[in-house]
This record gives sequence, C-alpha cells and structure tokens, in this order.
Amino acid sequence: MDWHDFLRFVRGPLFEVSLLVFVAGLAYRLLRVVTLGWTRDRIPPAGSRVVGVVRSYAKGTIVWPFIPWVKDTFRGNAVTYLAGGLFHLGLFAVVLLSTTHVLVWKSLLGFAWPTLPAPIVDLLAAGAIVAMVALLINRFSHPVVRKLTGPAEVLSWLSVFLPMVTGYMTTHQIFFSYQVLFSVHMLAVDVMLIWIPFSPIPHFVFYFFSRTIHGVEFGKRAVSP
Amino acid sequence: MSSPEAVKTFHQGTGGWVASQLEACARCGICAEACPFYRVTRKPEFAPVWKIELLRRAYRQEFTLAGRLRTALGLQKKLEDENLAEWSRIVYEGCSVCNRCAMACPMGIQIGPLIQEVRAGLAAAGAVPEEVASAVRKQIQKGSPLDVTDKLFDERLEWISDEWGVDLPIDEQGADTLVVFSSIELMKFPQNVVDTARILDAAGERWTLSRKGREAINWGIYEGNTEHTKLFLNRVLDAAKELGVKRILVAECGNGYDALRWTAPNLVHMPAGLEVTHIATVVAEYVRSGRIKLRAGAADGNGVITFHDACKIQRRGGCIEEPRQILKILAPRSFREMSPNKEAATCCGAGGGVGAIKAADEHRYAVFELKLNQIREIEADTVVMACANCRVQFLDGVAHFNSDLKVRGLSRMIAEALV
Amino acid sequence: MPDSGARNGNPVREETIYEYLQREGVSRRQFIKYCGMVAGAMGLWAAPVLNGSARLLGKPDLTEEVIRALETKPRLPVIWLDIQGCGGCTEAFAGSQSPTLVDLMLDRISIDFHQMLFAAAGSQAETALWEATRTYAGKYVLVVEGSIPTGGEGAYCAVAGRSAVDVVREAAAGADVIIATGSCSAFGGIARATPDPTEARSVREIVTDKPVVNIPGCPAIPEVTTGTIARYIVFGTLPELDDLGRPKTFYGTTIHDSCLRRPFHDAGKFARSFDDEGARGGWCLYELGCRGPTTYNACATLKWGGGLSFPIQSGHPCIGCSQPDFWDDGGLYQAQSVPLDRPALTTVGMAAGVGALVGAAVAAAGRGRRKRVHEARAESAPEAESTPEPERTGRG
Repeated sequence: MDWHDFLRFVRGPLFEVSLLVFVAGLAYRLLRVVTLGWTRDRIPPAGSRVVGVVRSYAKGTIVWPFIPWVKDTFRGNAVTYLAGGLFHLGLFAVVLLSTTHVLVWKSLLGFAWPTLPAPIVDLLAAGAIVAMVALLINRFSHPVVRKLTGPAEVLSWLSVFLPMVTGYMTTHQIFFSYQVLFSVHMLAVDVMLIWIPFSPIPHFVFYFFSRTIHGVEFGKRAVSP
Repeated sequence: MSSPEAVKTFHQGTGGWVASQLEACARCGICAEACPFYRVTRKPEFAPVWKIELLRRAYRQEFTLAGRLRTALGLQKKLEDENLAEWSRIVYEGCSVCNRCAMACPMGIQIGPLIQEVRAGLAAAGAVPEEVASAVRKQIQKGSPLDVTDKLFDERLEWISDEWGVDLPIDEQGADTLVVFSSIELMKFPQNVVDTARILDAAGERWTLSRKGREAINWGIYEGNTEHTKLFLNRVLDAAKELGVKRILVAECGNGYDALRWTAPNLVHMPAGLEVTHIATVVAEYVRSGRIKLRAGAADGNGVITFHDACKIQRRGGCIEEPRQILKILAPRSFREMSPNKEAATCCGAGGGVGAIKAADEHRYAVFELKLNQIREIEADTVVMACANCRVQFLDGVAHFNSDLKVRGLSRMIAEALV
Repeated sequence: MPDSGARNGNPVREETIYEYLQREGVSRRQFIKYCGMVAGAMGLWAAPVLNGSARLLGKPDLTEEVIRALETKPRLPVIWLDIQGCGGCTEAFAGSQSPTLVDLMLDRISIDFHQMLFAAAGSQAETALWEATRTYAGKYVLVVEGSIPTGGEGAYCAVAGRSAVDVVREAAAGADVIIATGSCSAFGGIARATPDPTEARSVREIVTDKPVVNIPGCPAIPEVTTGTIARYIVFGTLPELDDLGRPKTFYGTTIHDSCLRRPFHDAGKFARSFDDEGARGGWCLYELGCRGPTTYNACATLKWGGGLSFPIQSGHPCIGCSQPDFWDDGGLYQAQSVPLDRPALTTVGMAAGVGALVGAAVAAAGRGRRKRVHEARAESAPEAESTPEPERTGRG
C-alpha cells in the first residue's frame, strides 16, 4: 500500500468507522449514567436554583479560563490552570474556528460559521502543543496529580497530543511531505475518535451534569457557587 | 477490615447523581489546594479526589462494562478484598466534610457529599474510628454523645434556670418554635441556653424545648450511617410533630443545622409545613421586623472583631449575611473580615467528627493554625462564631498556640446588646 | 560516414544521431543548440547557468554529455500506441507551438511510429508498426497512451481484430523500455473511475516483466514525457522513480510546494467561490477543492502551454490528475480536509441507538445489583424508618 492509498483509507472508510464508534461510544457512556436513576430532591430551597446554575456556568466558563489567579487554589496549581486553559483555548480555536476544520464540520453538519484568521489559529495551536507538554510533565511531577495518573490518563494525553502535533506539522510541512503528514494526522484523529468513548475524556460531557448539580446545590442554599 | 459491606453500600448509593459526578472528574488535582487538611500536611492522600477513590472504584467495578470485564478476567483486584484501615484514616481523620473542595473543582463536583458516601460504606463495614463509634453508641443509648440522658437534661436545665433566672419551657404544647441545642452548648456553654432564651423572650416568641428532641447533634452523619442518621433525626422531628410546632430553631450547632435543614427531607418524612431555621437567621429577622432592638455599637471599643464562618452554617448552610447584618449593628467600627471568608472560609479543623478523634489532633491543630494566621493577619482581637463545636475547637486551639485571641459566641453578643 | 558494408573487416556501423542530423542539413551550431535544449529537457541535475562554468565547479557539463551521446548513438525508434484513451496526451504535444523539443525528439532524434500521428492508416500503418518491432527488436522505446481494458476478456478495445491486451503485451515484449504517458496508462485513468465498467488497467498491471516508467497527468505535461524519453535516448538509463513509478525529477515535489498562491494559503486567505473577492484576488483555492498539497507533478514549475500557465494560476483548483484514482477521491470541489467517507444520518442514529441500548443495559445490571442489596438489607434491618425513596442513590 502506498501513501496515496493509505491516505484514502484513513480519510475514507476508517474515518467513517471511527466516527460511528465515537457516536455509539458516547451514547453508551451517557446512557450508562443517565439511566442509573435520579431521586427527587425534597429539600426546600432557600434561594434560586436557576440563579445558582447560571452562576455556576459563569464561574466555569469565565473565571477558570480567563482569571484563574483570583482563586487561592491557583497557588500550587499554576501549571494546571494556565496550561490547561491554554490547551483548551487552542483546542477550541483549531477544531471549531479554523478553516480546515470548519470545512469538515460543514460537510458533517450541513452548515458552517465564521473562522479565525489562520495566523491566530496557528499561534493558538502552537500554544496548545506547548501546554500539552507542560501538562504531561505536571502529571508526573505534581504530588497529587501523580497519584491520579494511570495508563488511561497517559493514553488519553497521547490520543489528543498526536492529532495536534501532526496537524501542526501538516500545516507547516515539517520534516515530511504533506501527503505523509496528512495521512498520519488522519490516522491519529481516527484512533483518537475510537479511543475517546473508552477513556476518561468524556468528562467534557459530564461537565454539564456536575456544573448543573453544583449550581443547584449552592443555589438552593443561597450560597454563591 | 475487609469490605464486602462497604462495597454494597457504595453500590446502593450510586445513582445518576453520584455516577455523573464521578465521570466528570478530569483528574486535575486542583481540589487538593482547597482542602485545609491537604494544605497543612501536604499529604497527597488527603487530596479530596483521593478521598473518593474507593467510591470511584466501586462504581467502575459494578456499573461499567470495562470494570466488570476486568474483574471477571482477574485483571483487577476485587474491591471486596480491599483493606479499609488506611481509607478510614484518610476520610475520618483527614476530612471535616467542609465541601470547600467542591468550590475549587473546575467541574463543580460535590466532593464533600461524595466523601459522605464513602463514610457510609466504611460505616457499613465497621471501619470507623473508635471515638466516632463510641459517640454513636452513646447517642443511640442515651440520646446524646455527651451522656445527656433525659434525667441529666432535666437536671441541667433546672440548674441553668435557677442560676440565671430564666424560664426554660420544656415540651410546652401550643408553642410555635421548638428550640434544639447541641449537648455541647448545654454542658459546656450553658450561657448559650440563657442567651437564646432571653433573645426569644425579648422577641415575644412562643417557644419550647423538648426532652425527646433535645439533641441537635447527629453523630449518624459524622459516622456516615443512614439508619443512625434517620434515628437521631426522627427524635427531633417526632417531638416537633407531637408538639405541633411550626418550626424548629437550631441553636449554635452546625452539624445539627445541616442535619435538620439540609439533609432530613431526603431521608425521612418531614411533618407538613415544618420549617427549620438557625438562630442567626431568626435574630436577623427579628431585628429587621423590629421585634427586638439591639444597641448599636454595643460591641465596639474592644478592639477588632472578626467573624468565623462555620462550614455547616455558612458555606453548606447559606446563613452568611445574617451574622454580618447583626455584627454591623453591634460593632460597626470594629468589624473586619478575615480572608478567605464567607462561603470560601477555611474550616476550624474540628468539623465532621475530627474534633473527637485523638489520632487527628496533629492535623486538627495544624488546620486551626491556618485559621489563626488568617485572624492574626487582620490583627483581630476577638473572633465571633455561631457554632458551638467551632467554639470548642477555637478555645482549645487558642490555648494550644498560646494566643490571646478572644473567642465569643454570636448569641452572647446579641443577648448582651438587647435593648 | 554511413556504411552498411564491411570494409577492412570492420563491423557494420549504424548512423549516429549527429550524422543523421548532418544529413538533414542541421549545422554544427544548430546541433549544439539542440543538445542544449535536450539537456534542459532532462530537467534534473545542476545544469550550470553559465556555459563552461561546470568545469570550474567540478560538475559534469550536461550539454557536453548530451553532445557526446548524440555524436555516438544511433537513432532509436519510439513506438507510440494509443489504447483506451482520449488522445489528449498526444494532443498536448501536437498542440505545442514552437519548433519544439518535442518536434526535435520525435522527428529528428528518433524514428517514430505513432498510431495517432501517422499519415498512413489502416493495414499499411499496422504493417509498418509490427515491422518496426521486429526490425528494432530489443532496442525500441514503447510509449503507451490510454488504459488497457481487460474486461470481457479484452474485447472492449480491439485493433485490427486483436485485443489491446495482446497488442500491448506483444509490443512490450520487444521493447527496451516502456513509458506509460498519461494517467490512463499509468494508473487506469478516467475509464477506471467507479464503476470501472471495462476493467481498465495500467500498463504496469499488464506488463510485469519490464521496467515501466509512469508519466501520469491528465494529460501528461508534454515536456515531461519528452524529457523522460530524451533521457533514455541520450543516456540509455531510466530516471530515478518514486514508489508509483514516476520520475522523481518531475514528480518529486507537489504542486503545493511550488504554487504561486502559496503565500495566500499560509496566510489563510481562501477563495470561497469562483467569483468572490478572493477568487479575483488570486487567493488560495483550498476551500474550492484544490488537491495541490497531495499531488505530485511539475505543473507549478514547468506549467502548461510552454510555461504559460497552469490550472491554479488560471483560477481553477488542482484536480490531482497525476495521482492514482483521482476521479474517485471525492468531489473535485471538495476541500482536502473533508473526509472522503461520511456516515449517513440514519447510520449515525443507529450507532447512537446501539450505544444507548448497551449503556442502558449495563446501567440496568447495576441497578439490579443495587436493588438486590437494598432488599437484602431491608429484610435484615430493624423496622424500616420511613424513607421517601426505596433506594438510596446518593444525596446532596
């Protein structure tokens, strides 16, 4: 098999399979939790649960990413906060706001949206890569995080890092030809899509559960979350 | 201590609420820095995320395909064979279930309540510290962890009534409000009983105490055992029902307020229309409506005064502004906030049962020192609080660290300023 | 001097290319010029800019080598077969304007038998062709244009009653080297596009025992074919080939590598439609489906029409015509980043459904366990306190 055939394979049949596994896997993870039963909360609230939820999401989307240093937990966790933030920023910018990927979304969803200029996306992508490296080092050097790092966490890091770095290399044609890099990037993406449902990565889905619960629990006590 | 009973309890307690939060954990470890026990010991096992690791493993073992396969293929040790001694130490000695971790978690996971679930499992396996088990036994048998039996209750109240010249109604039908003290107040801070009585009388409140519902503290919660929790709750609630009161007023007891206001409705049937409230909230309401009048600046002129936020009353109870409203009247020129404060305040170190466990003394004092330094930072002379357990800890801690910090209860300050 | 007879016991000597050209009236000066053109056509290696400076740099002077070769080698026949093709590759040649290299190569330096360009037709042409294969057996260059249909036992293309498969095989048997010009003969081309009704195949798939050089493109750039033939005729060696049999000289880099619109690509300026501001401004055509990044050919450097332009320069995205199966690589106007295969919505729905069912099943198993524990405990517990819910599922 030459690189041209390989590229067709990873862009074609393998991608289709990977996407289906991804969808099936996430549905599996979601239903596995959601159908476990939810008890009614009989505690009379002292404050608005809705306000609590709104505040909870505001904290989750504004404070953490943009001004984490206002929290006293910043000390000792600077790498997690800053590198974590930079990683997410780069990830969203590249996956959701870059031309190459918006074209993919358009083909999958049928509609598109405005993109960020390429040099900005490029900078954020580079930032995300650096952040990932910092996060990996942190995973092994931070006394608490080290306890929480097992094979699943390392594989998850790898499954996200490889698409990022091969994508960057493809754009800049570093070391290898575009055809080779593009193939490897697509392969890495396919592997990532297959791995995600079986990894800790779906925390991005359950984020919405925990953030809402957080808002409800604090809101009903009329405490600012 | 091996764990089949613990595992069963973990499974029994795992529904969508627990599972979705366990799944949301991104293993970032930020929660550790929010935990005062971690901060003062730097022990990674005291990280809140690690405290719920047992629950997470039980979840994976039973509720995931991968977990079931791994156990079936022998790739994973069965949790039922886990030795619980170390987990017991971490969760009972190294945690006051203050829930500060929930506020730090980027995912907002309610780590405190999840730790409470872990305690439930450990309790089912009998893996609780002896002091905790002993307190529970006493409360079951005598109605109070401090040996306050029916008889002692009557005797004590009689003595207080005589000594201070206050009327202390017991089991009075037709009262609107049932007042519940913790036995700590009764035995160690009897002045509290007096002050509370005077405040309520000044407001013209129709209140009563109850022999059956005499204990606010709920050691079932510290232990983590639901059946015991319900038993102790029902004593108070049955009394309320029998007396036909409209509300329960918890005096200066954080655990009691948390138990009756924020835990009971999901565990037991509450008498219809029954409210549960805290003395600070009630006083703030009295002042606002003019039922009582406080002498403005009554506490001024004695140096800087600050307020300690008790975990179960403020962060977990919501009664944050009321004490401040009161102190604003009592000490407008002397009040200063420490930092962090309100819902972000750090624990005194003795909550969650930690105060009773000898082996936890070292951690308890270290966490207290963290608090003490916050107070030293603002050069406060007096610290006020609305929880008797915190007050015990503060008095002990202040002595331990040779500090001249004055420690006062809120009720005392209110009663002193009654017009 | 041409001399077909033996004299003084010397062996028969064939007329060299130079001698032939002399006979045709080409002056020495013109000959040197031609050699320069041939050297240029071979395109490869460092031909020094200044004549004669090669020696200073210690490098071989390509023109001198060409001169030497043409002075000593005889003219070689080039046999050009057209099978299942559109003839476009030949058209591209014939369409070239100036008294070109092509002309030079095919008319002067070689003797050619071109099925399309022959003035003769019918059985006369056929005879001439097969005679040439016999006369020059083992020495000629075979050029094949068009794919070879193998379906229907080779009946889809028959010449003079014979299947093209056999024709190609027989012609290849006596060839010294085979050149497949155009994507059809190199990879199968348009006829092979799904559903490939004639089972069109490349020369390499028909002729497996001889070296075949692929010169893909739709059409192949004429100068590339010529340059490759020139190389062989002049030096008797094949150029270095990539893993798809294409000369690395011309196919070693991608269109993207040398594209004039590259700065726009790197700056992220893309045309969105064929008449928008970007298109008129000459912006990158990535969004319009340009396959430049993964297409290996010399279009961006050699260009077409004697260096006039190439698709991207004229505003059309590269369609990747020198890559195998380019007709089946997704729509021509579909961007490269778009996956080739995408599941239908119903398939996605089914996948989600299957996942959801398995998830619910696993949860049900867990709930079953929870219920059994609860019931076992309820049995052995003292009188149950009234609980709002029968099962504990965590609390807030």
